[in-house]
Amino acid sequence: MSDVTARRTIPVPDRDSAPYWAALAAGQLVLQHCPDCGRWTWPARPICSGCHGDNLEWQASGGTGEVYSWVVTHQPYAPDLAALVPYPIVLVRLDEQEDLLIPGRLVSDVEIEQGLRVRAAPERVTDDIGLLNWEAEDPAGQA
Amino acid sequence: MSDFKRFPRGQVAIVGIGCTEFSRDSGVGVFTLATRAVKNAVADAGLQPDDVDGLCTFGVNDSIAPNILAQAFGIKSLSFYVDQFYGGSVSLSMVGQATLALASGVADCVVCYRALNGRSGARVNGSGAGGGGRLPWDMQFKVSAGYIAPSQEIAMAARAHMLKYGTTSEDFGRIAILSRTHALDNDRAMMRTPMTMDDYLASRWIVDPFRKFDCCLETDGAVAFVLVRADRAKDLPHRPVLVQGAAWGGGITVVNNGHSDITESPAKPIADRLYASAGLGPSDMEFAELYDCFTYNVLSQIEGYGFADPGGVPDKLRDGAFDRASGSLPLNTHGGLLSEGYIHGLNHVYEAVEQIRGEAGHRQVDRHDVALVTGQLGYVSGYSSAAVLVGA
Repeated sequence: MSDVTARRTIPVPDRDSAPYWAALAAGQLVLQHCPDCGRWTWPARPICSGCHGDNLEWQASGGTGEVYSWVVTHQPYAPDLAALVPYPIVLVRLDEQEDLLIPGRLVSDVEIEQGLRVRAAPERVTDDIGLLNWEAEDPAGQA
Repeated sequence: MSDFKRFPRGQVAIVGIGCTEFSRDSGVGVFTLATRAVKNAVADAGLQPDDVDGLCTFGVNDSIAPNILAQAFGIKSLSFYVDQFYGGSVSLSMVGQATLALASGVADCVVCYRALNGRSGARVNGSGAGGGGRLPWDMQFKVSAGYIAPSQEIAMAARAHMLKYGTTSEDFGRIAILSRTHALDNDRAMMRTPMTMDDYLASRWIVDPFRKFDCCLETDGAVAFVLVRADRAKDLPHRPVLVQGAAWGGGITVVNNGHSDITESPAKPIADRLYASAGLGPSDMEFAELYDCFTYNVLSQIEGYGFADPGGVPDKLRDGAFDRASGSLPLNTHGGLLSEGYIHGLNHVYEAVEQIRGEAGHRQVDRHDVALVTGQLGYVSGYSSAAVLVGA
């Protein structure tokens, strides 16, 4: 696992999370949806944290939301991030549910503000792993 | 329903404290640091290593475990141990856990310690998981975003607070300056040169909205303290420092569904339990040592532990409410993790004990019988921890 230190930003999927990362590799943001109570779950979990049901189903997310908060990282915290600094990370409130706050790099060169509309922009790394980046819905950056 | 009034209030006392030098390069391993701090604490308590039958610590694959330390001290069979994964969020959990063990009688003398080469060894500046190896399960969902350091997660919450309440960089700067001012006359402190607002604002960006001086130090060192039951504490050399109350548990993280406003202080969920366990409230606290890995944590805890309404901290900072010399609640009287050093929060316990004993020298606060001491407020791991300490 020494590669984990060298490439800190590549996730290490496990059996519970593998479908999530594979879907991103295929260009899609998927979330678990509970058919029993209707709640969405992120990140991947074995049970619904709302009703404790076991029937969670992977479903495509609309992949859109708005920026709730953000940081701009100047400190290179890992070797593979050194080439990116300074880079913005946005915390996106997904349209599906108020408590789905999902971080990701914003890859659009726009001025960031709370409420900025964004959509998922998955980045394929391998056949099994994709990274979740975000891009502005409006490339001109109008919120 | 849990009943926190059943916490063994005041039945256990901290009777000894020990530390090493706090430095950028200890020149020794964490094993050596731990043994030095533990020996100092046991000696300060007027006890012998042979008296110890419980050891508690925490860490992120970067320290020395209780079983190894027990072997070094020739302790053939520990009655009680805690070896917790995670960082500052669990730093005060040990105090509560040791108190439960001692009050129940399964242990008679417990030493809590934390040793780390946080600067020269597994640096704490970003890896989040310190020395490698075990990573928290939820990290896979953060690292993929380049979101791998506690500074980033706390800065995210700080930005949300700025957007909601109009909190400013200068407000964070006042917290950094407060800590530095309190460190100036502290012989243990690593940072003893004055800081102005201009210095603060000129320091480089780490994770905007955090500058360098919003971030705690990276430190090599160790702190340990000894706990026994209060009846035994009466016969030992120092004023017993009673564990009046303690709480540990829930916080707020972005991978914790159910929270939709990360400006709500993660200290809030445990504050009520803490005060119920202690039978005291915020207005009873005479000084506080609040976990300050970053400036914003202090602001958020002042809100969460009930000393200000949400958004109300900046006014109190400007009024000097937290100044050591004249404030209504002297705060981080040693300079904290921001300016004394980062022993993952245990130097807060060390300082609180010195203050309660009345042994803090130039730093001594006038009212020093009741202290709130806290761990990291739970944005990163979803855990928080805190204790109320009271002089016997």
